[in-house]
Amino acid sequence: MTAAARPDLALKLAGGARYGTDLDRPGMLWAALVPSPVAHGRVRSVDLAPARRRPGVVAIDADDLPGLLPGGGGDADRPIFPANEIAYRNQPLAAVAAPTLAEARRAAAAVRIDVAPLPALIDLETAFPEWPGSEAARSPHVIAHVHARHGDLADAFRTADRVVEETYRTSGVHQVPLEPHACVASVADGRWRVETSTQSPFGVREDVASLLGIPEADVVVEGAWVGGGFGGKGSSLLEPYALLLSRAAERPVRLALDYRQEFELGRTTLPSVIRLTTAVRDGRIVARRVRLLLDVGSSLPGRDFATGYSIGFLLGPYRAPAFEVEGYGVRTNKPPFGPHRAPFAPQCAFAVESHLDEVARAVGRDPVAFRAEHLWHDGDTTPFGQRVGPFGAAAALEQARATAERWRAAAPPGHGVGIGIGFWSTNTGAGGEVRLVLSPTGLTIVQGEREIGSGSVLRGLAAVAERALGLPPDRVRVEYLGTADAPFDSGVFGSRTVGAMGRAIVEASAALRATLAERLGSAGPIRLDLADGELVAVGPDTRRPVRELLAPAERSAGIVATGRHFAKPNAIDEGRVVTGEFYAFTDFTGSVHVAEVAVDRETGAVRVERYAAFQDVGTVVDRATAQAQVEGGIAMGLGIALTEEAVWSEEGRLLNPHLLDYRIPTLGEVPVPDVTFVEGFAGAGPFGAKGLGEPPIVPVPAAVAAAVRDASGAHVTELPLSAERVARALKLL
Amino acid sequence: MTPSPTGLRVNGRDAALDGMPDDERLLDTLRWRLGLKGTKEGCRTGDCGACTVLVDGASTLSCLTLTREVEGGEITTIDGDSEDPELRRVRAAFADAGALQCGYCTPGFVLALAGLLKERGRAAPVEELLDGLQGNLCRCTGYAAIVRAVALAREAPT
Repeated sequence: MTAAARPDLALKLAGGARYGTDLDRPGMLWAALVPSPVAHGRVRSVDLAPARRRPGVVAIDADDLPGLLPGGGGDADRPIFPANEIAYRNQPLAAVAAPTLAEARRAAAAVRIDVAPLPALIDLETAFPEWPGSEAARSPHVIAHVHARHGDLADAFRTADRVVEETYRTSGVHQVPLEPHACVASVADGRWRVETSTQSPFGVREDVASLLGIPEADVVVEGAWVGGGFGGKGSSLLEPYALLLSRAAERPVRLALDYRQEFELGRTTLPSVIRLTTAVRDGRIVARRVRLLLDVGSSLPGRDFATGYSIGFLLGPYRAPAFEVEGYGVRTNKPPFGPHRAPFAPQCAFAVESHLDEVARAVGRDPVAFRAEHLWHDGDTTPFGQRVGPFGAAAALEQARATAERWRAAAPPGHGVGIGIGFWSTNTGAGGEVRLVLSPTGLTIVQGEREIGSGSVLRGLAAVAERALGLPPDRVRVEYLGTADAPFDSGVFGSRTVGAMGRAIVEASAALRATLAERLGSAGPIRLDLADGELVAVGPDTRRPVRELLAPAERSAGIVATGRHFAKPNAIDEGRVVTGEFYAFTDFTGSVHVAEVAVDRETGAVRVERYAAFQDVGTVVDRATAQAQVEGGIAMGLGIALTEEAVWSEEGRLLNPHLLDYRIPTLGEVPVPDVTFVEGFAGAGPFGAKGLGEPPIVPVPAAVAAAVRDASGAHVTELPLSAERVARALKLL
Repeated sequence: MTPSPTGLRVNGRDAALDGMPDDERLLDTLRWRLGLKGTKEGCRTGDCGACTVLVDGASTLSCLTLTREVEGGEITTIDGDSEDPELRRVRAAFADAGALQCGYCTPGFVLALAGLLKERGRAAPVEELLDGLQGNLCRCTGYAAIVRAVALAREAPT
């Protein structure tokens, strides 16, 4: 079978893909949000009159919601406009729409806002001058607390030869999709319709319904082409405002963020402080203690996704007989925490790998050999009591070590080589459904996700169907439907598209094969072949064109089969949980990276010279898209490692909401990496595939930090490894 | 308001600019006045390169260009088919290398590379061409496939 190309190449190369920012409707108004001037405060008054006096302007604030919403409003904990307490700077206090964008902006500026400022908590460490002890869980700033332990920790620490404790710090990072958030809403006849650039049309539908207090059935979400998501477009952001303005104006309304707002209002990974303590006896880790302070912005109390998921990554893919983890989600006056490709896992891997490197050096061991000895294998149990199952990290590490040795032998002075190990898991989401329609000439996959760029929908799902049905290449088409017509699916996130939806395709394919076998009167396996442009069902001893196997009712559409997939059950040993919710992994995907860097001994500037990735993948479903995920993940990880850092003032103003000051890697800063897939360690997806959207970003900062240390001796414990931080570690500053 | 004395030629066709305000940016003229949405709006501050078009064959950031500045000029965008030899060559190279994912930066990269090939010629060292693309940001591909596309664009026969 020859590899099929992405089916969106020609369209995108002719400028024909319509993204969220391109949406346009006749009679459409343009909208703008009215931002809070403070990060924390109380709303005294919002005066819309000066905006409303301008021609053609519609303006709304909290007072208008009861009149606009049939149920009077939605989730009181997540108000559309804060009626009282402002949670973060630029939080929308009102929204306006006007015939042009310039008029909408002028109208927004005309709204008179009166707020009483309150002290804002911006830097999470100022809430905890001392490291949090048991009283921290009662701090008014802590809104999530998770705690788990296992084994005899006290004994392990008492009898250890050596205990190493370190503190790491990580920075806030942005997703930076080149397309900012954008949508067009049109409310009419009780239908709340919105077209939007999203990773999850059904997620937006659920969110909008809950925020506005209207039935999900009244909300219709149509996905546009997505100009990059990276986790930032997984739930609603602008849609409720656009919908409310459309309802008020009785016209379609377009709302898009400008790029500065994309930085200021986007929800993403925020700063953290990580304390790691490791006890070693006879050259072996006997106990590990992990404490995490994670900035969760103005997230709601009780939502411990950030802490409860991340903390699993802070133990790394390593054996330890005893452990304790404790995580605190600290509420600050920033926008709520949101997912960023492999949320917080690259930061965790950076801390874990750098720390174990330090531990190994402290006990006189080779850092890589020390990690290799503790690495999980199939048959091991995770700290949370899950069976590891097939895990390709050790096999990947073996290859990575050979590459690292070769590179180190050839490296010029000033260069260093480092290895980073990370793991991830294929998320299965809240379940979903896919419909297959087999016609005499091809197969259509009918589903509810838009292609966000990775190729997982348009190419990945097609590749699964080709393999499941033995279909000739290029006979599979992926059809997208909006939420009114599509089978439910929970979204393109968590490296789940091929893993979860692919399983639904395999199930539906089995149903199709059974139908064909029955109609063919064949007991053996069925495959599909192509003859004279038509599909032919082929059994062990018979073959007939699909056309002749259709029932009368199927002659216009084709044979329809439906497949489903469900979330995998939680397999954590709850006996190890003291408090909070921890999240189970479905499978374990290892990523081992090798970086070669040059460190400037005068400025501390780091340049990545060479890069190699060894990726545990289960089985490669489509080589070109798989390789593209690894290449893209590495580049994004290099940003986290070296340059990307959101900086806030003490008043909660984002100081670098701009691509010039928030530096993502450019073409000249990313070497073309060597990518090697490690197959044979089966995961949760179809044919044993493992999700690939996120794993390749996880070990990048760890690999770069190890290489920087190898090159210069600088042990940097904060991300990113900016020239300034490296220079400080080298005592140049 | 005085009607504009001249217009633009966009992708080989005349485009009228009647009633256009003097401060309109070329990006907005293309996208919202002429409905040519292939040119992408990213940062609007000249940092991402997504809005790159050709003005008289030269790679230009349409977000930082006032339309009045380029009146009477020949504008080339990604939209639709094109007879432009460099543009065709670059498109084919991007397709062969699979050098896009979400595709939002793609129009800017394609036009920027077409402009570089016009300016420097195919014999220009590959490093020079790659250097010339540093003002175009891509968040999906890690640039690896784009680097392969640049090599293909130089090597492919005419």
